[in-house]
Amino acid sequence: MNIPHPIAAERKEPSASPARANARIRVQGLAKRYGALEVFRNVNVDVGDREIVAIVGPSGCGKTTLLRCIDGLIAPSSGKVEISGVEVTAPLPGVAMVFQQFGLFPWKTVFNNVAYGLRLAGASKAEIRERVPRFIKLVGLAGFEDAYPYQLSGGMQQRCGLARALAIEPSVLLMDEPFAAVDAQTREILQFELLRIWEVRPTSMVFVTHSIEEAVLMGHRVVVLKGRPAGVFEIIEVDLPHPRTRETLMHPHFAQLREHVWTTLMDEARAAELQLQR
Amino acid sequence: MSAQDASLSPPRSGLRAWLSPEATARIAAGIAIVAIWELAVRLWAPAFVARPSRIVAVFPAVVTDPGLWLAAGQTLGAVVQGLAFAVVLGTTIGLAIGRVPAVERFLQLYVSGLFAMPMVAILPLLTLFFGYTGDARLATVVFAAVFAIIINVSDGARAVPPEYIEVSRSFRGSGWSRLFDVVLPSSVPYLIAGLKLAAGRALIGAVVAEFYAAIPGLGYYILYNTRTFKHSEAFVAVAMLAIVGVLFELLLSRGTRWLLPWYRRDEARD
Repeated sequence: MNIPHPIAAERKEPSASPARANARIRVQGLAKRYGALEVFRNVNVDVGDREIVAIVGPSGCGKTTLLRCIDGLIAPSSGKVEISGVEVTAPLPGVAMVFQQFGLFPWKTVFNNVAYGLRLAGASKAEIRERVPRFIKLVGLAGFEDAYPYQLSGGMQQRCGLARALAIEPSVLLMDEPFAAVDAQTREILQFELLRIWEVRPTSMVFVTHSIEEAVLMGHRVVVLKGRPAGVFEIIEVDLPHPRTRETLMHPHFAQLREHVWTTLMDEARAAELQLQR
Repeated sequence: MSAQDASLSPPRSGLRAWLSPEATARIAAGIAIVAIWELAVRLWAPAFVARPSRIVAVFPAVVTDPGLWLAAGQTLGAVVQGLAFAVVLGTTIGLAIGRVPAVERFLQLYVSGLFAMPMVAILPLLTLFFGYTGDARLATVVFAAVFAIIINVSDGARAVPPEYIEVSRSFRGSGWSRLFDVVLPSSVPYLIAGLKLAAGRALIGAVVAEFYAAIPGLGYYILYNTRTFKHSEAFVAVAMLAIVGVLFELLLSRGTRWLLPWYRRDEARD
């Protein structure tokens, strides 16, 4: 679906243009069933090398399940996921996930939490000493290396989770509602922080969220999941200028896109409500 | 409001704690118990029955008796050795029960059953295997302690948040790394809770074994002095066991704070 761009003349060239031509992630005919319950069916999405694809949908539509299938944490019932041409059957190297509840180990300090993925990847001690502080600094946690997670606020914990994912220098980042568990202000700060980091080291990113605003802000494309079982209802091209900053939120086209996604999703919510009333 | 203020203020320490009304009441209750004891023994019991004034009188002689310290060393040595063995064995079995459904199906019933069974009941059997020796005492201590640890560690291993397992899998951790780097540290607080329970049971186990099999140690020291009508001497050893129990509890809670700086600090948030 194409939405006419009101101020096309103002549109700047993307600073890091999504290289969609070579798909890093290929999701083909993916379906997941739990017994009689079909979560989603026939999902087809490609994600480019340096592209952020946001997945948005009502709660319980299987967004997170879809992301776990892409990571290889759970097996799809049919269809397949390919990352860099390799079929995913278990988590692959170079793919990192950021978890909704942060997933930090409470018995490890910030340093050791960030080093976790590197250690498992077999990095040498010298490498860890060099890389970990660099990524702690990148996410703005310098000075908190020896803190335990309980000593950090939710936002800081997710910065740590982000550093842990970035430290393995992944080519694919999977974000599972990463900012859903932090307060609204922190959430906004972290969104722009993540966009800034992505500008510095662009990756292929799948960003699952239930916030329409966040999906439009982060995504180069927004995939709308809906229905029962869920399927890809629409893929919306977000032709907003790069880099995305706070000004993006003021862009008239941003409001238009947000309204469009909202209407798409709310149709279903209303229909579901009507069905319940009947 | 005032109740809230009290709970927010830091705990009083030193002299002020001793002078607080609750502490005064506690001390008064202690003095009353000792007084009633002294009075009751003087009025109704034979002369050899332990009473506070006699205990104080024999105390210097008993604590300078090398026999008491030798006995204490023998009992505590067995308790520490048995606990160490129980921790290793109990953690291994507990992790297996907590993480491997098949092991849980096979062992859960027996672990619960043996935990509930009084250790005195198995003592005659253990003396059959190990003779009337220190080995029988060690076996009793292990038997008394290990099931508390198995049960707690298996609970801990079951309670590992699934998210931690997912993180480990997502970062391509091997099964062994998941066990040692995720499941085990996550279960350590449960292990320590189990160890607290096991320590008390181990001490009882050691003393009971000494009673039953006449193995040299504090239990036998108490038995021997009681049978030779030295009740006050025996009571010093009883008090020593109580103090050991309290010290062990203290050591464990201090040790927890030192070993697990990340644990039980929820109150520090916000």
